[in-house]
Amino acid sequence: MTDALPLEAELTAAIDAVAVGGASLDFETWALRIFAHQFERNEPYRTACERRGVTPAVVARWEDVPPVPTAAFRHHELTCGPPEVVFRTSGTTAGPAARGAHLVPHLDLYRASALAAFREFVLPDGARPSCLFLVPAPVLRPDSSLVRMCAWVGEALGAGHDWFVGEGGLEIERLLQQLGERAERGETVLVAGPTAAFADLFDACRARGRALRLGPGSRVMDTGGAKGLRRPLSRAGFFRECWTHLGVAGYSCVNEYGMTELCSQRYDSALVDRFRGRNLAPRRLLAPPWLRTRVLDPDTLEPVPPGATGLLCHHDLANAGSVSVVLTEDLGRTVGDDGIEVVGRVAGAMPRGCGLLLAEGAPG
Amino acid sequence: MTPPAIETSAELRARIDAAMRARTRLATRPLGETAAALAAAATAWRANAELISALPAVARLDPTMVAATLPLVAEALDADAMAALVESELGTGAITRPAPTEVALVAHVLASNVPALALPAIALACLAGAAVVVKSGRDDPLSAPAFQHALAAVDPDLAATVVTAYWPGGASELEEVLLGRADVAVLTGSEPALAALAGRVGGRVLTHGPRASVAAVGRDGLEKAERVAHAVALDVALYEQRGCLSPRAVYVESGGRLAPRDFAERLAAALAGITERLPPVSTAVEERAATRVLREGSEWTPGTTVLSGPGGTVVYDEDPSFRPTLPARSVRVHPIASLAALPALLPAGHIECLGLAARDPCDLVPALRERGVSRLCPVGRMQRPPLAWPRGQHAPLAALLGHSGALRCTVET
Repeated sequence: MTDALPLEAELTAAIDAVAVGGASLDFETWALRIFAHQFERNEPYRTACERRGVTPAVVARWEDVPPVPTAAFRHHELTCGPPEVVFRTSGTTAGPAARGAHLVPHLDLYRASALAAFREFVLPDGARPSCLFLVPAPVLRPDSSLVRMCAWVGEALGAGHDWFVGEGGLEIERLLQQLGERAERGETVLVAGPTAAFADLFDACRARGRALRLGPGSRVMDTGGAKGLRRPLSRAGFFRECWTHLGVAGYSCVNEYGMTELCSQRYDSALVDRFRGRNLAPRRLLAPPWLRTRVLDPDTLEPVPPGATGLLCHHDLANAGSVSVVLTEDLGRTVGDDGIEVVGRVAGAMPRGCGLLLAEGAPG
Repeated sequence: MTPPAIETSAELRARIDAAMRARTRLATRPLGETAAALAAAATAWRANAELISALPAVARLDPTMVAATLPLVAEALDADAMAALVESELGTGAITRPAPTEVALVAHVLASNVPALALPAIALACLAGAAVVVKSGRDDPLSAPAFQHALAAVDPDLAATVVTAYWPGGASELEEVLLGRADVAVLTGSEPALAALAGRVGGRVLTHGPRASVAAVGRDGLEKAERVAHAVALDVALYEQRGCLSPRAVYVESGGRLAPRDFAERLAAALAGITERLPPVSTAVEERAATRVLREGSEWTPGTTVLSGPGGTVVYDEDPSFRPTLPARSVRVHPIASLAALPALLPAGHIECLGLAARDPCDLVPALRERGVSRLCPVGRMQRPPLAWPRGQHAPLAALLGHSGALRCTVET
């Protein structure tokens, strides 16, 4: 157990180096090292691997590292060491016992991964926006991985930040006031939070006849999709309403795809493509180099042909302290050679996700 | 085989008017003649080669499944059973008298999770003395017109009181006509679909939302474990488990000849055996993904064992709380100390039918009725509901006629 930190610290440094344009990261070498690390230290994972006859000695490719389903996080402490923090999935209908728990023994690794990807995909122009987070403050939701990420973003990458979900839910009047003041000053603003919170914001703007024009370079980051939405809101509708109510164009709207069980996230390609001069590339969810996603046939767990729909299976090196390969309940497909699209969720899958942060309110 | 097209509200209105005029011409006819015609039509319908050939593709079922299930639908329209139903609900001698007159038009908006829901819908409306419009669901626009065609061959006057139609959900002008004119609208489907329709009904509305069923095996039932396992497997496999009568959980009493976990293995084997006769239909990626998620998640859940194979997925689960499986041909098997404890485990208002392999279920009836269960039957017969099935606990003819009555839970032997 004493050498658990060095590998994770080493990976943290490697991610930091990649983030500043340093050496690239040899995914497969890291994947195999991390699997051996997890096999040795993560007892429930080792047991499951052994039941399948899989050990580090027989795994030669990163694709062969056994996955665990997200359901496993609801029943087992999948960690390689004492956790610094326990993040819990959101969910309203099945009760607290059905929530997954991601035990993270090395928070710096999550921080490094989260910030590097956020900087790359949401702030590719190096902007330091004023951050308005449509989620509870960390003191209200210390077990939310999204809230933790927002805190880091606000502190490290923002020019000030504030939280707009209290114990009573979205604080719409204060939010509108803050947005209005910043719009008048022409500040560059980042508004980030669950898609459902944006839908509530749009409804409030519509009801009050407000049409804000946020300052140049302002952007939106939403996450969670349809989860927790009180009304249907298509992606095109979301872009339209961002423009109508906030004055933020669709190409400055970045969707985040993340999971409590992962320390890395994928982001909409729109903004980074724009800054790289690839305006005609299709929208897709891009990942940092330490996160790879395979789209698998549900019957065989073999990859489906490019573009075909299957179950998403993420291999996140930044999960070195828990389990790196997570088989999700999400359906998706590959887009191009570097992206994916999430097309839905398996019928009957447990309700979960940060879109439910609003529905749950914040615990006292 | 193509369903009759009704494209305009004027056309639908004209068809309804014609059906209602036809109804008045039957005012003096004894109900026994109606029952005999319906039974004869059902017999002809189940042999309709064109329907048997076309239905698998639209209903997304294997041809063997269609061949196995059409007779189950037709047998419910047995003349003697219909006579018994009429006498039971409308009074002694009712089968020799004309039909009731209080309801002129019944509208059925059908789901299509399982095929041929139109047959009992049409039969019950005819026995209630109403003209009927059946708006079929997307996955079975064929059964209703095929039945009407069969009925027209044996009794054109009665067939003229029936309008069959299909249009995609959301065709609001057609729906306005249908829902606005009906004295009673019977709506079947998902909660959002029901919510979208119910508010537009001009008359009374009866809704049938999503429900599930369970099976239970008592200690005495375990004496014939192989036969019981096969019967439960058949209940699971029929209609690819898409209906509200499909069991999603099996409760097995502990302390019998066979341990509940061993029964789960027999059930998995029985499901595998059934695939020879009723091969599973190839399913969309969403459903296959649901199967994978169930299996993988259960592997990691303490107290569960996954027994999966080509026949389906059986999850032996020591936690007795009811958590319905979703993928086709999947079921949880739970041990239970005593069947007497079963009703308390069932979520109120969500369970339609209990299939039972036990000697005397009568002790359970009051508690099951309280939980909203409408039907107890032997395992192996869950997918063979009689026309008298009090769906949603309402006597079927009384519900159409607006007669209030006690909530029902029938026991079939």
